[in-house]
Amino acid sequence: MAEVIIFGLMALPALAGGVTVVLARNPVYGAMGLLGSMLALGVLYVAQLAHFIAAIHVVVYAGAVMTLFLFVIMLIGVDRADDQNERLPRQRQLVILGVLGIVATAFAVAFSGRFSWVIAATGERIPQATNGTTVALARVLFSDWVLAFEATALLLTIGSAGAIALASRRGKPVDLPIDPEVTS
Amino acid sequence: MTFEIDYLALAPELVVAGTIIAALLLDLFLTRSKKYWVAVLSVVGVAGGLVPIVYMLAEGGTRSMFDGSYVVDEFALILKIVFLVSGYLVLLMSVSYIEADRYYQGEYYFLLLSSILGSLVMSSSRDLIVLFIGLELTTGPLFLLAGWRKGDAKSNEASLKFFILGVLSTAILLYGMSLLFGLTGSVEFTAIAAAIPDLVSEPALALSVLFLIVGFAFKASAVPFHFWAPDTYEGAPTPVAAYLSVNSKAAGFVAMLIVMYTALPGISEVWAPALWVLAALSMTVGNLSALRQGNIVRLLAYSSIAQAGFMLVPFAAAAVAGSDLAQAFSATVVYLVIYALMNLGAFAVVIAGARRTGSGDIDDWAGLGQKDPVLGLLTALFFLSLAGIPPLAGWYAKFVMFASVIEAGGISTLVLAAIAAVNSVIAFYYYARVIKAVWLDTPSEELLARPGREYAGSIKLTLAISMGLTIAIGIYPTFATYFGEASRVIATGGG
Amino acid sequence: MDWIDFLIVVLRVVVVFALLLLVTIINVWAERKVVADFQNRIGPERAGPFGMLQTVADGLKLFFKESIIPARSEVGMFLLAPFLAVIPAFLIFLNIPFGRPITIGDRVIPLQGMDVDVGLLIVLAMSSMAVYAVVIAGWSSGSKYPLLGGVRATAQAISYEAAMGLAMVAVVLFSATQAADAPGGTLSLAELVERQSGTWAGIIPRWNLIPQIVAFVIFFIAAIAETNRAPFDLVEAEQELVGGYFTEYSGMRFAMFFLAEYINIFSMSALTATLFLGGWNGPTWDGVLPVWLSALLPFVWFMIKTYVLVFIFFWIRATLPRLRYDQLMALGWKRLIPGALGWLMLTAVVLGYRRFGLPWS
Repeated sequence: MAEVIIFGLMALPALAGGVTVVLARNPVYGAMGLLGSMLALGVLYVAQLAHFIAAIHVVVYAGAVMTLFLFVIMLIGVDRADDQNERLPRQRQLVILGVLGIVATAFAVAFSGRFSWVIAATGERIPQATNGTTVALARVLFSDWVLAFEATALLLTIGSAGAIALASRRGKPVDLPIDPEVTS
Repeated sequence: MTFEIDYLALAPELVVAGTIIAALLLDLFLTRSKKYWVAVLSVVGVAGGLVPIVYMLAEGGTRSMFDGSYVVDEFALILKIVFLVSGYLVLLMSVSYIEADRYYQGEYYFLLLSSILGSLVMSSSRDLIVLFIGLELTTGPLFLLAGWRKGDAKSNEASLKFFILGVLSTAILLYGMSLLFGLTGSVEFTAIAAAIPDLVSEPALALSVLFLIVGFAFKASAVPFHFWAPDTYEGAPTPVAAYLSVNSKAAGFVAMLIVMYTALPGISEVWAPALWVLAALSMTVGNLSALRQGNIVRLLAYSSIAQAGFMLVPFAAAAVAGSDLAQAFSATVVYLVIYALMNLGAFAVVIAGARRTGSGDIDDWAGLGQKDPVLGLLTALFFLSLAGIPPLAGWYAKFVMFASVIEAGGISTLVLAAIAAVNSVIAFYYYARVIKAVWLDTPSEELLARPGREYAGSIKLTLAISMGLTIAIGIYPTFATYFGEASRVIATGGG
Repeated sequence: MDWIDFLIVVLRVVVVFALLLLVTIINVWAERKVVADFQNRIGPERAGPFGMLQTVADGLKLFFKESIIPARSEVGMFLLAPFLAVIPAFLIFLNIPFGRPITIGDRVIPLQGMDVDVGLLIVLAMSSMAVYAVVIAGWSSGSKYPLLGGVRATAQAISYEAAMGLAMVAVVLFSATQAADAPGGTLSLAELVERQSGTWAGIIPRWNLIPQIVAFVIFFIAAIAETNRAPFDLVEAEQELVGGYFTEYSGMRFAMFFLAEYINIFSMSALTATLFLGGWNGPTWDGVLPVWLSALLPFVWFMIKTYVLVFIFFWIRATLPRLRYDQLMALGWKRLIPGALGWLMLTAVVLGYRRFGLPWS
């Protein structure tokens, strides 16, 4: 019961944050909406007894990623005149039409009788409170999933090495066309 | 907790991973003029990865690790050979190209090797998580490599388009995976396959399967998810485009086949029609668009989209007709092997030809055969092979494909076969156009006046290897059949 | 859980809250006195004995002042920022055990706001949340100096958080080998403190400080930077940025930033004491002294250790000149992070050797 209440209390801000991200004209408000959404999700993880995931979620996403977002928004500057441009003709009408279509489809599916509430995981569940602890997680992560874990480490290294290689400007910027020129 | 790692089964990955680390470190200590040693190291490392694979193939049997989430069977070994050999050829192609560029070299090889490693991991994966990470490891470095010529606006555009669409497709793929996990309660393919029969009537399951297909189709650049491909191929450095058209496409493909075959056979009535449509659209749209291309890289881009359609045909046909999927598997793998060789050869020709003519426009290639007969001959060879002309390997790929479709039987498969046949004719037209330009058109004054230059040894080696194998398979197709037959032994994991 | 348990939980949180407000009042006064002594001044002396009530008087003054909202500010965010500053500051201290668990009847009451098995991570998460207040305050003020202060704060927080986290990892790794009965690491702060009890060779306390001295130095430097104190107070460098991110704040809203800063100083000192100085560990002479005194002594030890560190905060502030911006970044990225990484690797190698021996043996 308590889980349902927490879910309701936290799902609402999570959704509200998401809607803010979409609707906010000002990117800073959008970023704060995303932040709120992430914090609410963190609480949901706690309700699922996944404390470690919850903490890491807040540290990484809310703490590091969103801070970088805000940093970039501020450095670039918030130019609101830019956001008012809507490139597609009739963008808003189309969006409203799309949303209505999705809602209608959802209703159609829900009432057509082919729909049943998704059954949570038919596989066996281990409802142990220790499942989400750091120790339990580490044990799985470094035995069964060690390969995926190491591959992820490589993925992050690729990200940083590549970003540095692409972004850094050692020496003068290269602009002259290069000999094996295929792009015409 | 018992937990053991079979180091022999992991040996190819470990060799490549060691090469990656060594390349990254070596790059640190080399001066600019000595950077080619990183390339030498990478080439040697990738070749070294083949040794344990050959050993394991000779030994036979299936090795399984991590509760069956990582399986090294003959299918996986065959695919690893394909990925390593094509990676090897791309590395060879890159050496002179990247050296002539004025961008970073060490990191280039680091990223390319990481991508190769990703495809190795992916081909052994028998669960969603390892599969996903392997696939991301394959495509992740390519976002960066596509924009490697950062002084060039087209390269930036290539990278950005690829990145944005790639990330979008990844999100869709992940969404599909999470739905699948939520419904079946497992990430392992055997467990998913076991849980599927109870869930067939669930709309969410169909949705998740469709999401998966969309995600994979993006990676394999099948129509209608191909928009990024031509621009990315054109803007990216040519070796990277070659890699994109072979390895990363094959990775998306193989991932799709593994998931459909081992995890979702119980719900083939959802994905079989989708694959049918993808195959038909890819062939038709790819070929028709290729007709109008003036740039040779764009032409190859559309051609590779069309070839992806051909590759899908056996599997889609067998799934729609409900016949033996294993047969289709071997046909697809044979096609993949041959396509990899001839397409890499074609890209090597493009690199050499662009160096000779200083242009990527087909019109500027007019009379290249007079200027440089060897290159002209190679152009003819690879493009004829792509078109599927008999003495060369391409015909056998097409033959296997049609044979498997006819074996499957049924109306819808025959329609697909008809579409494929018409498309083969269309494809022949634009491949022949390049050959015509090279041999029959009169060369421009400018081309004749250009100083003849010696090609780098590495590009010659690339051309020699791919030429030799293309001719050899065309004359002696049993060699490729072995690959197909071996790949039937796909273990579904578990245990 | 009956209603008494619930009441105890509420009480623990209220106690932490009250404690923090109280020490802040003392700390503000203490800083002024200490810095005044360093500079051969007298400092506050009028309000109350030794001027101890000065902070209270200042607080009252701020309470009655007008809180100005600049015309060009983003009002919503402008009003939100002070709360974003104070809330994480409180939440950090909520995790820190400030005394030995006391036993009343059959109930064991931990003297700690909350004991979570990932306490250390929550501290890290909350300290990274604190930066939002600065950023939002700087941006929403609609004025250039606060904005610059905000941008500086973001860069600084991200840079030093990495070093801080890495130093923490070394400590956690080390303490994983310190529990005889329960092998394996822990992220619970209460457990980390427990593992520092006892002595080596009968006299040297088993604090993490001694074997982890490098981590301690890195952690403490990063802690000073995280709290934006001198010599890392570029965020509010008055010569360049007037008042930094809270230039436009006044009245109670300003007071909240002020409060958050001093709570953060105290929390960071308490966290350092917990991680490196054995927290509330110390001789309690159980059985010799009356029970209530033995129960109180751990709290006293904790406060003494924390205040030694708080004093070092003041000392550094009074002694060292402010860093230049590039020096700040160079120190963070080129010294502390590689240093912390190297130390982490060294720790791992040594601990691995002691547990498993040489890899080939």
